[in-house]
Parts: sequence; C-alpha cells; structure tokens
Amino acid sequence: MGLYNRIAVFRAERGVSRRDLAEAVGVNNQTIGYLERGDYTPSLELALKIAHYFGVNIEMLFSFERFEPIGMTLKRAGEDQ
Amino acid sequence: MKPPVIETFLLKLDDSLRWTGIPTRVSAQMSGAPIERKHRPLRWIPIWPVAFSCALFILSLTLPFALDLVELASALVAIVMAMAPVIHMQGPLGRPSYEDDEREAALRKDSFLFCFGLLACLNCLGQPFLVILAVLQHWHAAKSVVVAISALMLNVTLFQNLPTLYASWNLQALPKE
Repeated sequence: MGLYNRIAVFRAERGVSRRDLAEAVGVNNQTIGYLERGDYTPSLELALKIAHYFGVNIEMLFSFERFEPIGMTLKRAGEDQ
Repeated sequence: MKPPVIETFLLKLDDSLRWTGIPTRVSAQMSGAPIERKHRPLRWIPIWPVAFSCALFILSLTLPFALDLVELASALVAIVMAMAPVIHMQGPLGRPSYEDDEREAALRKDSFLFCFGLLACLNCLGQPFLVILAVLQHWHAAKSVVVAISALMLNVTLFQNLPTLYASWNLQALPKE
C-alpha cells in the first residue's frame, strides 16, 4: 500500500527549503526530496518530526489514499461555510 | 646551507601525507563542521571491474591451460580491483555509515543484503559445478589453482562493486530545487 504525502505543498506554502526542513528533522536534504516524490516511506519517528515541524497532525501530511487537490479542498470548505 | 637529509625526507613525508587529503579530512571531522562531499550514483563504472573479472574467470575455465595469458589477465584484474575503494568512496555508499540518515542506512542495508544474497547463491551453485567440472575434465593441480584464484578475484570484485551498483541503480536523480 502506497503512502502519499503533502510535504512539498506545505513546504512551498511556508517558503521552507528542502535543506531547512532536512536540518530541522535531522536528515539529509536529498531524503526530503525522495520523500516528496514518494520514493521513500519514512519511519514513524521521521513522519512525526515533520508533522511537528509544520505544526499539524500527521494525517494532514501523510495518507494511504491520494490527497485531493487543494482547489477541491478549498471549494468544499467554502460550500460548508 | 643545505638542510640535513633526514629533515628534508621527513618534510617530504609530511607533504606526501598532506597531498592525500587525509589530514584536512581528519581536522574537518574533529572540528565538527559539515563536510560537503559529492556521492553521486555510479551506474556504469563499477560494471567494468565486474566485467573484467567475469572475463578472467571464463578465460580460466574455457581456454586450454595457458598460464601466461591467465597471469596477464590476473594482473589486469588486480589493477582494476585496486581501483574499487575509489569507486566505493565516490559512489552513493561512500559516506561513512555513522553519517547516514534513516533512508541512507536502509539503502546501505538493502545494497549489502542484495550483494551477500547474490554471492551466496553464486557460490552455492558454482562450487559443486566447479568440482564436477574438475573431475570430468581431469584438471591438473595448476589449472585448479588458476581457476580457484580467478574465482576468488571474481568474488572479491563482486563484493567490492555490487553494493555500489545496486545503490546507484536504485537512486533516481532529484530535480534541483
């Protein structure tokens, strides 16, 4: 079962470079690149560290199902309001 | 006035040690500063030593016994084998293992596991095959020694290069940020 993530989206939104995130969570910056591309499945510890860095729950960053596009999420949030 | 011979010789030794880059690397490690070294995937270079060793092994098996030719080929393979540490250091597994993060540690583990698995299979199948061949073809002691040495060289070359090859083919280039 594949593990999908939104690290690249969160990183772009907050203007964080790969190197900054890598230093914060204690990995090589290439590892962040491979994580974002889905080539590597992180350990629970690393996933929690990344979620903690962005200040969100782990489910916001990682999922076994594909994340819907941001536009869809915003549209749905607008309809709910 | 010329310096004493012993001093000049010691200074030359110092210079030659500095030339290797080892003192710089040790002092950088002692200072704790991050060391920026390129460890790029090497997808084709490690194939050459493996190919040379395979050719030597096949040569020692198939050709009629010609010690000079096999000795020449062995010397060539020995030179190629001496390059293996350089290939390893430049490859994706060249970084010291204590600097690995979890992805790199997993890649190192997978690479060596693949290498040991393949070597174990090759040796389990190859050894009985060689013994049977030796009995059927009535090998002389000298031929057996030549085949054994070329098999050893093949084993060492595979052990030196397979992990780098495996890791290199597993790493896809990342786009620049």
